[in-house]
Amino acid sequence: MLALLLLCLRLLRAEPLAYPAVISPQDPTLLIGSSLTATCTVSADSRLRAEDLYWTLNGRRLPAASYAALGATTLSVALARLNGSKQQSGDNLVCHSRDGGILAGSCLYVGLPPEKPVNISCWSKNMKDLTCKWAPGTEGETFLHTNYTLKYKLRWYGRDNTCQEYHTAGPYSCHIPKDLALFTPYEIWVEASNRLGVAVSDVVMLDILDVVTTDPPADVHVSRVGDLEDQLSVRWSSPPALKDFLFQAKYQIQYRVEDSSEWKVVDDVGNQTSCRLAGLRPGTVYFVQVRCNPFGIYGSKKAGIWSDWSNPTAASTPRSERAAGGCEPKGGEQNTTLRRELKQFFGWVKKHAYGCSNLSIKLYDQWRVWLQKSHKTRNQVLPGDKL
Amino acid sequence: MAAAETPSAALRRRDLCSRGIRLAGKMRSDVADLLDVYVERQGLDASANVAALDGVPAAAAERWGEQTESQRLLDNLAAYRAFRALLTEMLEEQRDQAGPADTALREALAAVLLQVSAFAYHLEELLRLESRGPPGEEGARPPAGPRLGLGLFERKLRGLGVLRELAQWAVRSARDLRQLSKPGPGGTAAVPAGPAESQ
Repeated sequence: MLALLLLCLRLLRAEPLAYPAVISPQDPTLLIGSSLTATCTVSADSRLRAEDLYWTLNGRRLPAASYAALGATTLSVALARLNGSKQQSGDNLVCHSRDGGILAGSCLYVGLPPEKPVNISCWSKNMKDLTCKWAPGTEGETFLHTNYTLKYKLRWYGRDNTCQEYHTAGPYSCHIPKDLALFTPYEIWVEASNRLGVAVSDVVMLDILDVVTTDPPADVHVSRVGDLEDQLSVRWSSPPALKDFLFQAKYQIQYRVEDSSEWKVVDDVGNQTSCRLAGLRPGTVYFVQVRCNPFGIYGSKKAGIWSDWSNPTAASTPRSERAAGGCEPKGGEQNTTLRRELKQFFGWVKKHAYGCSNLSIKLYDQWRVWLQKSHKTRNQVLPGDKL
Repeated sequence: MAAAETPSAALRRRDLCSRGIRLAGKMRSDVADLLDVYVERQGLDASANVAALDGVPAAAAERWGEQTESQRLLDNLAAYRAFRALLTEMLEEQRDQAGPADTALREALAAVLLQVSAFAYHLEELLRLESRGPPGEEGARPPAGPRLGLGLFERKLRGLGVLRELAQWAVRSARDLRQLSKPGPGGTAAVPAGPAESQ
C-alpha cells in the first residue's frame, strides 16, 4: 500500500505551474474596434528584464513599436482597433522571453453583445412534448460563444421554467419532454447571453393543441393497378398515436423515379388513406412517401403541422409492350391510335356502363384494364396482330 | 506470478494483452488527430513548450527495462486513471466555454476519454489476474484546487500538455503490454506487435 502511495505521488508530481511572469489584464472581454494596453511583469527575483521580452498574438510576433518598458521588469503592448476573436476560445496574447519561451499568456475575447434571437417556432409530437427552434441574431456567434436558454411559462399564472435538452433538432433548438399542460397558452422566449451581455427574444404565445404534429403515416403500400403501365396505387394507415384523439388529418404524397432526386408532390389527397398516381413512366421504379397533417385537434382552429415523410416505399410500373419495341409512334400514328382508342372506349361505356352518369377517371382506368386484358388475349390468339 | 497461472488464466492474460496493445495503438493515433484539432481550435502553436504539469503523469520512465510486471501494470493504471479525470475536466471546460463550432473537438475528446476508460478497465482486468487485484482509486484523482486559479491561456496550455503526455503514454503502454505478453516462466506466448509499436 505504501509502495502504491509512493508510486502515485511520483506519478502525480505536485509541481505547481510556475509561470515566471504575469500578464494584466487576464482574459479580458472587449468590443470589436476597442483598444487595449496589456502589461507583462516578470518577477523581481528573475534575471529577466523588460528588454528581454516580446509579445505574440495568436502566434504572430507583435511589432516592437507597440511596446513600452514600464520600469525594469514590465513591458507593455498597445493593441488598437481590435478585430473579432480569431477563435471562440479567445485570442492568445503571450509574453515570451528572448529565447521564445512562454512566460505568461492571456486570452482576449473580442466580439459583440448577442442579438435578440428571432423566428421562434415550436411543435408538439402527438401532444406529448414540445420542441422549439429559433434563429440567432444576424451576427450570430461569429466571435464569442453565446449561450441560449429557452424559457416558458403558462400564461397568466405560471412560473418561469427553463428548457434543459438543447440541440435536439439542430443547433438552435430545445426539447421539453413532459409536464406540459393543454388548454392554456404558453409564453415562450429565448435568452441569448455571451461575455458582453444578454439579449431576450420577443415572447411567443402558443397553445400546444395548435402546434401538434404526428408520426408519419404507417404501413405505406405501393402496388400496381392491374397492367396499367402508367399508374401505381398507394395505401397507408393513419398514424396510430393520434387515433384516440378528436382530429382530422390531411395527407400529402411525394414520389420520384429511382434515378432522380426531384420529388413530385400530390397535395390534393385530402383525408383519404389511398390514392392512385397516374401519368407515370412505364417500366420504371418509383419511390413514394406520405406525410400527415393533423388538424382540428379538440377543436383547434389552427392549421396543423406536417409530419416527417414516411420512409420511401418503392414499386415499379409495368413495362409497356409498345415501348418495349423501342419505337415511339409518329404524330399521325398517335392521333389515329387515340381516335381508335376513344372510339373503343365509348363503345365499351355503352356496353358496360349503361345508365352510369358518373363518368370518372376510375371508369376510364377500368376500361384500360379491360383493354389490356383483351389485347393480351388477342395477342395470344393472333400473335401477329398489332395494336 | 505467471508461474502460478492456470492455462485458462494465461489465455485470458494473453488475450487482454493482445487487445490492450491494439487499443493503445488506436488511442495513439486518435490522440494525434485530437492534438491537431485541439491546437487549431485553441489557436496554439503545436511546437509550444509546456513544462511538466501538476497532476499530469509523465510517460518518461527511468530504468523502464528493470520494472516488474506488477509495477508496469500499476504505473499504467495510475496514469490512465489520472488521464480519465484530466480528460473529464477538459471536456467540462469545453462544454462551459466552447461554442457549436467546437463540436468536433468535444466529440474527439469524448471519444478519447472512452478509450482511456476502456484501457484502464483492461489494466484492472489484468491486475485481477494477479493475486491482489487493482488498487482503489483514492489517489487517482488529480488535485482540483490549483487549476481553479489558472488563467484561460494556462488551461489551454495545460490541455496541450495532457494530450501530448497521453500520446506518449499510449506508446509506452503498448510496449509495457508487449513486455508482459513475452514468454515467461508461466509459458505465456508472445503477442503480435500492435500498431503503436511501430510508431
